[in-house]
Amino acid sequence: MNPNETALLVLLVPLAAASVITLFLGRRPGAAAALSVAAAAFVAYGALSLAFGSWRGGDSLQWIRFGDFSVSLGIKFDDLAALMLSIVAVVGLCVHVFSLGYMGDDAGKSRYFGGLSIFMFSMIGIVLADNLFMMFIFWELVGFSSYFLINHWRERQSAADASKKAFIVNRVGDFGFILGIILCYWTNHTVNLDELARLHSTSALAYSRLIPLLLFCGAVGKSAQLPLQVWLPDAMEGPTPVSALIHAATMVAAGIYMLCRIEVLMVASSLNVIAWVGTLTALYAALCALTQRDIKKVLAYSTLSQLGYMVAAFGLGSVGAAMFHLTTHAFFKALLFLGSGSVIYGCHHEQDIFKMGGLRSRMPLTFWTFTVAVAAITGVPFLAGFFSKDAILALSYERNGAVFAVLALTAVLTAFYMVRLWKIVFFGAPRSDAVSHAHEGGFSITSPLVLLAVLSVVGGYWRAYPRGFAGVFSLIPEAEGATHAVILATSLAVLAAGAGAALGFYRTDGTDALQARFPSVYGMLTLLRTSFDTAYEYYVAKVQQRFAMVLNFIDIVGLAGVVVRGLAGATEIVGFGLRSLHTGRLNNYVYWFLGGVVILWAYAAGVL
Amino acid sequence: MTSIPFDPLLLSVAAPLALALAIALGLPKRWVVKLAYVGFAIPALMALLVWWQFGGAPKEVHGYAFFTSYPTGLEHFGIGLKFGLNGIALPLFVLAGVVGLAAGFYAIQSGAERLKTYLLLLLVMQAGLMGMFASVDVFFFYFFHELALIPTFIMVGIWGGRDRSYAAMTMTIYLTLGAMLSLLGLIAIYVKSGANSFDIMVLRDALASRPLLETAQTHIFGLLLFGFGILVSLWPFHSWAPLGYGAAPSSAAMLHAGVLKKFGLYGLVQIALPLLPLGATHWGHGLAAVAAVGNVLVIGFVTMAQRDLKQMVGYSSVMHMGYAFLGIAVGSTMGVGGVVMLMVGHGLSVALLFLLSTSIYHRTHTFDMDVMGGLAAKAPVLAAFFVAATFASIGLPGFANFWGELPIFVALWNFSHVLTVVALTGTVVSAVYGLRAAARVFFGAQTQAFSSVCDSNPILDLSWGEKLPALVLVAALLFVGLWPRSLSTGINQALSAPPAAVASSR
Repeated sequence: MNPNETALLVLLVPLAAASVITLFLGRRPGAAAALSVAAAAFVAYGALSLAFGSWRGGDSLQWIRFGDFSVSLGIKFDDLAALMLSIVAVVGLCVHVFSLGYMGDDAGKSRYFGGLSIFMFSMIGIVLADNLFMMFIFWELVGFSSYFLINHWRERQSAADASKKAFIVNRVGDFGFILGIILCYWTNHTVNLDELARLHSTSALAYSRLIPLLLFCGAVGKSAQLPLQVWLPDAMEGPTPVSALIHAATMVAAGIYMLCRIEVLMVASSLNVIAWVGTLTALYAALCALTQRDIKKVLAYSTLSQLGYMVAAFGLGSVGAAMFHLTTHAFFKALLFLGSGSVIYGCHHEQDIFKMGGLRSRMPLTFWTFTVAVAAITGVPFLAGFFSKDAILALSYERNGAVFAVLALTAVLTAFYMVRLWKIVFFGAPRSDAVSHAHEGGFSITSPLVLLAVLSVVGGYWRAYPRGFAGVFSLIPEAEGATHAVILATSLAVLAAGAGAALGFYRTDGTDALQARFPSVYGMLTLLRTSFDTAYEYYVAKVQQRFAMVLNFIDIVGLAGVVVRGLAGATEIVGFGLRSLHTGRLNNYVYWFLGGVVILWAYAAGVL
Repeated sequence: MTSIPFDPLLLSVAAPLALALAIALGLPKRWVVKLAYVGFAIPALMALLVWWQFGGAPKEVHGYAFFTSYPTGLEHFGIGLKFGLNGIALPLFVLAGVVGLAAGFYAIQSGAERLKTYLLLLLVMQAGLMGMFASVDVFFFYFFHELALIPTFIMVGIWGGRDRSYAAMTMTIYLTLGAMLSLLGLIAIYVKSGANSFDIMVLRDALASRPLLETAQTHIFGLLLFGFGILVSLWPFHSWAPLGYGAAPSSAAMLHAGVLKKFGLYGLVQIALPLLPLGATHWGHGLAAVAAVGNVLVIGFVTMAQRDLKQMVGYSSVMHMGYAFLGIAVGSTMGVGGVVMLMVGHGLSVALLFLLSTSIYHRTHTFDMDVMGGLAAKAPVLAAFFVAATFASIGLPGFANFWGELPIFVALWNFSHVLTVVALTGTVVSAVYGLRAAARVFFGAQTQAFSSVCDSNPILDLSWGEKLPALVLVAALLFVGLWPRSLSTGINQALSAPPAAVASSR
């Protein structure tokens, strides 16, 4: 089997698994799960053998052609794709195995595993795509998979709403994304990534500020950056393994991956915008995380914040730093989510952290792996997050002081809310019945935790990675001399401040110390968190829906009018008399018209 | 000659027609039901056969394959019964076969009142649809359209739901008017061309060597645009569509919205654009503006306001026709190729949506989405089909519709930046109403009204009579969606062959 075929199989095997599950295994959940996991295992094998192999290249075939316009189905496998594919494959396999235990008794198990497989297919399509149209196609498909899996427990109104919201908000981002692709197509007459790179290297590329910003809209939607971040916290309605795979490690990171793919199109002013969007998202989400009680939502906001870091790193001009943090984040955030899944599973679906407590002794393995992940994300030295976060801090220190300050502040907050979560969940006494009977899950739940914990420890030593990723990791900025010292000091101070404050501030008595002792601060943070949703809900309910109703009213009035006129016309043709044109009728029309105008005005003004 | 030893195109028209005749002559009922399957299966099989053979079939004139001609006695007027398929006609011929099979199968299984008459009308309609897209002669193209249209009115009037006589009346007035205007346009082409022939190939050659004056082209194109436009629910002549489809029995709605409505677009693509290029240029910008703002944006929002499921599907169909008009307005191979793909995708998905709407109605006893909810728990297969149909219709990649919308959007950018932005807004709007409908009908908690319906009669998932036609339509949507080249190669060839070049080479 040549590498090209392997790559194609890695893409298609999950699709085949999903098709078989949908068509034949709907009532055989065990077989469906086994098939889906086998497909994930094959993907992991194929992906790693490709990544560690020496082959870098690709192939393509025509998918559709109309005149000059053609879309090809092609593979571009370089170091960047190899890295991303390995992450997707490894985390994907962990999540599949974890799901065997976590979703073992679920009524919709077949549907769930079918959804996971269709997600793997879509995500691998994004990673391997050699042109922007193809990337867009799989981009939409991951959106669909995400919708499908968030809506897994479909009797829940909240899940139905969250899935709908996720897809629609992503469509808003994709609106800009496809516009950017179309613009790129007409300005450069190609959307093939290799072609664009070739044009760039011969300085024949048409640069514009608009194209990268429009393409960035896609990333804003998918990676949940301001102002489209609202769907991600709601997406936590999906099963926890889904949150780990799709809404933490891979799909939401696809926005950053896409940006790295189109780096050649970037110009300085667009990068500046991107950097600030990422920076502000990082800070905003960290502030939102402070007031969360739901274990998954804390992690969701933390994901937003870390994605902001990556976007900022890209905006500051470093693909290496962005992808490095993406890599380490995939490991420790997937671990955090799976750990929280283990906790939720052990506590019989309790998600409120203030009802937990004392899990350290009841779920020791979960506790220790979770601790590793918390240490990694807060930047404890020599763990994965420490290196990647320092790379971004060093980068911002050299390029943009204001961004550096905001990101450092975000790091303090990160340490603060993560330690808060850790302390409240695992320490003290159990604060509810279900929690006091908590127990560790089976092998399929614990083994992924251990594997991801190992990766969260060693993931930062990028020099130890196989040569295959050199094309990306050689781009990681390294602080030297004085900068190095400043960054090291900053990062240690940040960690000590955030973690120390949280350890001292929060008690394990089931109350939120921030809410109790600083209600005004807590209120302001809550307001900050809900403000976007409030604004959007106002728009949907009061503006969009009313606008739709008004147009509908006009349409019906128009319908009546046209029908009446049409009837009159028809009778005229047939010669059924001229009565309908009597002047008395005209008055009627005027009255109707005036009445309609009044009602319309009243409705639009909100009187009715 | 082709490798097929008989004329598949004639057979696909003649088989349903012969069966309809047999029913009219008093075929016993048990035979009717059995033979009706055959009557709908033959066109579908022929459609798949010609699709399979099309790539290798010799294209004799102007890229038409499977060309045959039968004497009619009207040759003096330039009218001849000529069948043949080019790359544009083929996708629609296949569409007619597939949707016809689904609609026919569903009708036979539905056990409608006066089933014999119902099937008779549907079979006549099916024969008309197959003949419409197989005709090379413009006269017969029009004739077969009328053959399919008249049963629609009767079916709405007799088997329709609420407001059926009003809906039938409105539909008849609008559609007859549209058909009359387009007939005027077609006759004008016939007269002005001086070719004394309705044969599209002869007309093409004649007008390629001696194009009409710009004013004549503009006037005739205008007639065709308004005539065909009314038939395809061009804003603001769309009111008949949601009303008519709301009332029409499901098989009639499937065939009309899915296939028959494409007559207008097909006429514009196959006849008006190549024969009257200057007229198309003249009307292009106005058409694009109306289609983008009227059909896509305004009707998109109107769709959002609907509570009635069937009305919503009807309005969404009007909205998606806006994209097709945009592609026609652009007129390039890219845009028009997208239109043909969209016709196929839309035809399949809207037929599926009407089918499933009726299935939902049989379970909820209402079309009002506000009193539904949580149906997925009772009917998961129905939910899966509906979600698939919804995503197909809102242009998710992997389904055929996407390959219609994408080329149209790309082509439109070079035509008008502003209208591209407007049209793309439609993709968000359609996601809003599509997903909202799916959520309201299937997901979340059961409403009280729906719970009482559940209590009074048990709700079953899709029966085989509903599942098979739905499966046929989804399979076709996915096949074209995953392998668009199976249709686009032929479309591209047909559109890229400039008539003048062909004329000069002959």
